[in-house]
Amino acid sequence: MKISKTTINLCVFLFFALFLVLAPFVLPLFVSPFWLSVTSEILIWSLFAASVNLLFGYVGLLSFGQALYFGVGMYGVAIGVAKLGLGFWPAFGFGIFLSVVMALIAGVFAVRLTWHYFAIITVVFSLIFYFLALSWKTITGGDDGMGFSMPPMLSVGDFEISMTDSMVQYYFILLIVALCFYLQHRLLQSPLGKALIAVRENDTRAALIGLNVYALRLTAFVSAGFLAGVAGALFAFFGRYASASYMFYHVSGEGVVWTLVGGLGTLFGPFFGAALLIILREELSVYWEHYLLLVGVIVILIVIYAPRGIVGLYSDLLDRVCKNDDDQNNKPGSEV
Amino acid sequence: MMSRPILKLVNLTKKFGGLVAVNDVDLELESGKLHAIIGPNGAGKTTFFNVISGFYAPSAGQIIFDGIDITKKASHQIARLGMARTLQVKSVFGSMTVAENVWIAAHPRGSVFNPFRPASSFTKTKEKTEQVLEATGLSEMANLVAGTLSYGDMALLEIGIALATEPKLLLLDEPVCGMSPAETEQTVGRIKKLSETVDIVIIEHDMEFVFGLADDITVMAQGGILAKGSPKEITENAEVREAYLGEEDDEDWHHA
Amino acid sequence: MDWNLLIALAINGIVWGLIIALIALGLSVIFGLLDIINVAHGDFFMVGTVMAFFVVQTTGNFWVALLLVPLLAFILGGIIERLVIRPIRNAAALSIVATFGLSIILQESVRGTFGASPRRLLAPVEGTTMLFGIEYDIYRLLAALISIIAISAFFLFLHKTKFGTWMRAVRHDREAAMAMGIPAEKVFLFTFAIGTALAALGGVVAAPITTVDFKSGVDILPFCFMAVIIGGLGNLPGTAAAAVLLAFIEGLITSFSDPTVARIASLCLMSAVLLVRPQGIFTGASR
Repeated sequence: MKISKTTINLCVFLFFALFLVLAPFVLPLFVSPFWLSVTSEILIWSLFAASVNLLFGYVGLLSFGQALYFGVGMYGVAIGVAKLGLGFWPAFGFGIFLSVVMALIAGVFAVRLTWHYFAIITVVFSLIFYFLALSWKTITGGDDGMGFSMPPMLSVGDFEISMTDSMVQYYFILLIVALCFYLQHRLLQSPLGKALIAVRENDTRAALIGLNVYALRLTAFVSAGFLAGVAGALFAFFGRYASASYMFYHVSGEGVVWTLVGGLGTLFGPFFGAALLIILREELSVYWEHYLLLVGVIVILIVIYAPRGIVGLYSDLLDRVCKNDDDQNNKPGSEV
Repeated sequence: MMSRPILKLVNLTKKFGGLVAVNDVDLELESGKLHAIIGPNGAGKTTFFNVISGFYAPSAGQIIFDGIDITKKASHQIARLGMARTLQVKSVFGSMTVAENVWIAAHPRGSVFNPFRPASSFTKTKEKTEQVLEATGLSEMANLVAGTLSYGDMALLEIGIALATEPKLLLLDEPVCGMSPAETEQTVGRIKKLSETVDIVIIEHDMEFVFGLADDITVMAQGGILAKGSPKEITENAEVREAYLGEEDDEDWHHA
Repeated sequence: MDWNLLIALAINGIVWGLIIALIALGLSVIFGLLDIINVAHGDFFMVGTVMAFFVVQTTGNFWVALLLVPLLAFILGGIIERLVIRPIRNAAALSIVATFGLSIILQESVRGTFGASPRRLLAPVEGTTMLFGIEYDIYRLLAALISIIAISAFFLFLHKTKFGTWMRAVRHDREAAMAMGIPAEKVFLFTFAIGTALAALGGVVAAPITTVDFKSGVDILPFCFMAVIIGGLGNLPGTAAAAVLLAFIEGLITSFSDPTVARIASLCLMSAVLLVRPQGIFTGASR
């Protein structure tokens, strides 16, 4: 009996999902507990990379400035807690809200441009706010950043749940990231998602069938800002601080790299890209200070030889394995 | 009584810098006829379409589509009012399947922004997609990736996409350009059949093709209108003949 | 306000502007011909400063570096074009990602060989001279002069040599140029190499008036992009003019505020130009 591609994909998905759910119990059996926090970091950064992917992979707009919305989400939380005295949930909401507003303001201008011009203006916007954050030290702490003490998520009398507990922290991050990926999945399956892909494929034709290309691009831009903002807010809680350095364009560039290495235009590509390169960083940087050389080489090799990334390689492999299988699953960019 | 014009242009002008591409055009195309706009390359035909469909804002003048002033509207707004068009260089959604291409055009615009309902659950859109695929003869290719189609099939798909938007007016920019004789013949048949249900304007420089098909021909030259009438009137028009006997470099015109 | 300070900052701005113009010309010519957004361009500049440092360290002569480094960079650029740029020529968006990878490699190689701490390179000429009533560093004036000569030489090359004509033809219309028998592949290779050489030359010239640091490319890149955008992507004289203008304005703003504010101001100007006149302020509207 032949196993269909859908089944294999489902198995692979369940394997990773199960691993992530059980990680706090499984990981300590094999490696040091430090890897649990690396896993959290991978989850957060994969959400950040997903925001690049939503724009570049599904609407065809390469943003080199997503770090801005990440940084705004981060600062929203830090300022919310440290300066405004907000609790956990209001601060989380505040961070996300600020980054969505920021994305809306920037998007109104940015999506008027495409191609190189879009890439450049997104960098420029992020640089403007990077320099603002650097010089506005009283509010942002500049390059040194600002720390804050973690407010509890829930406290009833003596009972308290807080992200200071590593279990709570991990599962909270996993839950939020999983939720965001699910939302993204729903979005991409919806008519809106199809319309976004239509805009990526051919914006002239999209306008000619009555799609409002500008509004669609703006929607995608704001949604991407939302994803980056959630990631930034999570990262602020994770590190208990915010810093202007996370708004620099190199951070945006890393998001692009993760997306591309993982698989552009695939739902889970950003996750696999971020996972691979962060694990590589953690493993290699111990032995070899200049592991970034390898990252650079990987990026170039992927761009030249496997522009569809890890997920692309995987689905090619799958195609070869079940060559004579049902053709109806043969749609390009099918979910992995 | 003359039927109401589907498209009415008043003093339409489009300039690019010092170049006048469309020069003070007054034109009424009545509903229920198959119209053709002909003229040599560089006569301003495609620019003319681009202005009508909202790609370029006109420099002066007015465009009235089915009684509505669309002069200042964006191309997607014009499309929603019921004007569809194909492009000279075939333009489809390359990496989507044929069915998806038609689906996205068939889906009602109002609910595109519903972000959380699966696209596959819209049964009406699905039915319409199948209808269009049937009507254009693309059902067999529904699951092929659009970018891999042959040139003729891609042209067909482009017409299918346009039809899926349920247009009142269909603008076809050189629909048979690059097609084999067999494909051309098939397409002529399809366009004739389509013209029974939707108003069509064709841009063409292949005279033979146009004279066998159109009810009404408008001749453009140097951005302006040289003549307008039935194919018979056009062939007999001295001005047109004179203008095109001089067009030695455009061989299509020797057929006329 | 202190007039002497103002004058000094204004002259500094012009000097830097000329050096930036040199680097930005490389960026612009690469964009104009190859349609490639070269994110590693700042690092070509950085590699130039580092190579200058090493050459001066071994030979003890700055002028050797001035000749040798652009030559080495030219070869490096040629190799990079063959290995990295050529395979992705038809995917413009990917070029940003690929050159970002290149940027990582260049920075990390320099950090590995040269070290992470910034160092200084002494100017080959010391002393000051009187200029508009203030004492001004002679080497900085010399740096400006070298930049002017190099920029002029580049324009002469573009307009007076056969290869330069080919380059302009390819930029104007790639397909037509190829149809006319212009060896486009050679032109691409050469263009990328010369773009790299221009950035590295900028690095040599700038090395004595800045620090030699593996991160210096990151700081200079946004400035080069600003010059290229404001001058008009692919518009070479516009780029040069914009670089000088920008550095001059930033210098002036710095005289009454801090450099970050100056940088924010020029970034805002750049956004405005991108949104209102993406073809740049020095390019005619009809194109």
